[in-house]
Amino acid sequence: MSPDFLTVKDVSKNFDGFIAVDQVSFSVEQGEMISIIGPNGAGKTTLFNMLTGQLRPTAGEVYFRGQIINQLPPHRRARLGMGRTFQIAKPLIALNALENVMIGAFLHRRPLSEARDHAYEILKEIGLASRALRRASELTLSERRRLEVARALALDPQIILLDEVMAGLNASEIEQAIELFHRLHARGLTLLVIEHNLRVVRALSQRVIVLDHGISIAEGGAEDILRAPEVVAAYLGRRREWTPS
Amino acid sequence: MDNIVTILIYGLLLGGIYGLVSIGLTLIFGVIRITNFAHGEILMIGMYGTYFVYAWTGMSPYAALFVVVPAMFVVGLLVQRLLIQPLLNEPMMQIFVTFGLLIFLENFVLMLTQGAALGIPSDNGPQVISLLGNKVSIAQIFAFAASTLIAIGLHLFLNYTMMGKAIRAVTQDKRAAATMGINVNRIFLLTFGIGTAITGVASVFLTPIYTLSPTIGGNFVLAAFAVVVLGGLGSVWGAYIAGLIIGVVEAFAGFYIDPTLKSAVWFLIFIAVLIVRPSGLFGIVGAEEVGFREQH
Amino acid sequence: MSSTSTDVEELPDAASASAGPIKLGPSKAQVVAQYLLGMGVALVPFAVLYNDFYWINILTFAYLMAGLASAWNIIGGFGGQFSLAHGAVFGVGAYFAGQMCLIYGLSPWLAMPIGAVLVAAIAVLISWPTFRLRGPFFAIATMAFNEVVAVFANYSETLTGGARGLLIPFRASFANMIFVERWKSTLLMFVYMAFVAGISVAIRHSRLGYYLLSVREDEDSARASGVNVVAVKLWGMAISAALTAIGGTLFAMFIRFLDPPTLFSLPEVGVKFALLSLIGGVGTIWGPLLGAALVIPLENFIRATLGGLPGVHLVILGLLLMLAARFLKRGIVGALGAIRWPRWMSRR
Repeated sequence: MSPDFLTVKDVSKNFDGFIAVDQVSFSVEQGEMISIIGPNGAGKTTLFNMLTGQLRPTAGEVYFRGQIINQLPPHRRARLGMGRTFQIAKPLIALNALENVMIGAFLHRRPLSEARDHAYEILKEIGLASRALRRASELTLSERRRLEVARALALDPQIILLDEVMAGLNASEIEQAIELFHRLHARGLTLLVIEHNLRVVRALSQRVIVLDHGISIAEGGAEDILRAPEVVAAYLGRRREWTPS
Repeated sequence: MDNIVTILIYGLLLGGIYGLVSIGLTLIFGVIRITNFAHGEILMIGMYGTYFVYAWTGMSPYAALFVVVPAMFVVGLLVQRLLIQPLLNEPMMQIFVTFGLLIFLENFVLMLTQGAALGIPSDNGPQVISLLGNKVSIAQIFAFAASTLIAIGLHLFLNYTMMGKAIRAVTQDKRAAATMGINVNRIFLLTFGIGTAITGVASVFLTPIYTLSPTIGGNFVLAAFAVVVLGGLGSVWGAYIAGLIIGVVEAFAGFYIDPTLKSAVWFLIFIAVLIVRPSGLFGIVGAEEVGFREQH
Repeated sequence: MSSTSTDVEELPDAASASAGPIKLGPSKAQVVAQYLLGMGVALVPFAVLYNDFYWINILTFAYLMAGLASAWNIIGGFGGQFSLAHGAVFGVGAYFAGQMCLIYGLSPWLAMPIGAVLVAAIAVLISWPTFRLRGPFFAIATMAFNEVVAVFANYSETLTGGARGLLIPFRASFANMIFVERWKSTLLMFVYMAFVAGISVAIRHSRLGYYLLSVREDEDSARASGVNVVAVKLWGMAISAALTAIGGTLFAMFIRFLDPPTLFSLPEVGVKFALLSLIGGVGTIWGPLLGAALVIPLENFIRATLGGLPGVHLVILGLLLMLAARFLKRGIVGALGAIRWPRWMSRR
């Protein structure tokens, strides 16, 4: 377990005056399951985008596996072992599910047949094997979510960043997904998850980080965090005494 | 030293023309985010329209403004409604369809006019005045004035009218604008109409200056793209100022190197802008790797 | 779960008993067989018409254009990058071979690969600034490039013979790529088409091909999957340009008269490649070939019957382009794909 697996140090993002992320720091150890929670607009996806390379930090450093990766483009971070899913699933519509996953599989496997076989294995793992030859446009929401995850898994990643991957799924689909992630985690995959669903947060976190207005306001174990007054306040507001005028 | 002033004046007047031709293009690009490759041909049919109004009614070509501009507005509505709107989510098909329009218009006019060269004779049209000791065609001054007035007018329209603000809202974020109750498709129609109408104004002011041929659109369209990119996609003042810059650069390059190589000038400016500062001088729509926000 | 049936059966789940080897895609043998079959079919008109003086010309041109459209399709169709520079690329390849022959007596067979590499390098150079960006810049830059090259060709007497053009004298020999019998030229064009189609097939079923498709579909998504988007675009452009330049060489030695309007006219050359791909099915392997097979003879027919009025056949071409873009986006191949076919034919 290397303490320098994924480290974020005083990272900020300033969009022309609007500070979306303000000096956030945390560390992820290899093999951990971490959740990032916070009200809408807290800067969670912006933070993710700085980790995966869609955005560059305006200040601070991001370290992955010992190297500083601030300037590294997204495809190189994928090469280093970082996989991600997008909040709005972005499958490659004209291709079928298998081919979608093959794109990621090609990262470490050049020959077509190898990439194809690996992609199929991943689809089996994810439970999409029966839909492998369907066009991505024909998949349901839950299937598209799973396809997103499959595409990230095809990279043989060391860490996977999941951005609200459960949004819009029903209860049984969520249970299946949790079970899948536990399986992957048991095999050594590090998980960094943005989530709103408390059930998921409880199930998929050894640690929780809370963001509000771009600032990290709390960090700790799931149960403590979810009860902490400042976290409740961030979501619901502070309790005020009402006095009739 | 006299030379420099002459070249400068020539360049600025040319730049005024480039601005006039490009303002419609940049408006359309900024709002609807499509590249109208047929822009030059639309300019061309406006010019032929102006010529025919003049030839059939004896009206001064400038008076043809009142016929050509509304007609062009309608043309813009038709193009947007029939060709562009159905293809809003298909960027490659947009290129195909506007290219098809380009080829169609150019050759349709060729067919109709059988390649005869048309032009407004000089005793009837432009006169020459003396500016700072240089002979300058008054038609070009008119064009420059028109360009400036259009830029100011459009600026006022976009910033101080409800419709203009709606257009600006759609430029920035069409989904957000839609949630505010703005009918995005209607704004697109209006914008394409206005953009084409402005191009109609340009064609009226250009007809007394140039000899018409079906391919004249092609002479302007590349310069227009260079202007739009340099000025910043979607910025009206950007197009105005970039037009002047490119006019001057082209004039100097033409004098010191060779006038036939002007397309090389446009191309180099275009590439240079994309390498150094893709969003151009005043870009609303950023074009950098990260900045060009996809509008779903 | 969608219950619509498609032309594809559901695959057995991992949980169910193994049903033997799963058919995930066409095997190499199938791909090769399909290719050979297609080439065989394409050869049939030649076998039938090689002695027909009228048709042999059309066929020669059709094969050439099929190859050029296929070459464009690699970056334009697979990669989704609408290049308008391919006309310029074609022209430069033609001029290069022509001049090498006229000035140095160099056999076009040797000039061909050199020209291809040279042109590919230029194409990569002008494309690179636009490939990092999104939006229409690539199309505009390539259009501007086409214009610059055309103007330059007109202007430079020494390099290209200027507006007067270049005339390559008729000295028939294999080394000169000039033949007395027409059918030999036709066969050469067929070989070119088969070559480009073959490369197209190879790319489509390789990592580069899949990467190109991913870039076309969604660049962000591709990046997150480890695709170096800029590098993929550059490779696609380089290969596509090289193949187009080779076509230019063949054209030069076939027609033996080169001048700027012939080579650099966008509707006749540059956009034509794209148009053929569109009609046939842009982004497919067989689309460009079908497009050429249909449009080239049609064009000839129109020119022959309505040739009196200038510009008529281009008016029709323009209309065709607009209608196809509006109503026939997937081209003929796409329209055929909507029909149920037996499993052994690939979908694209």
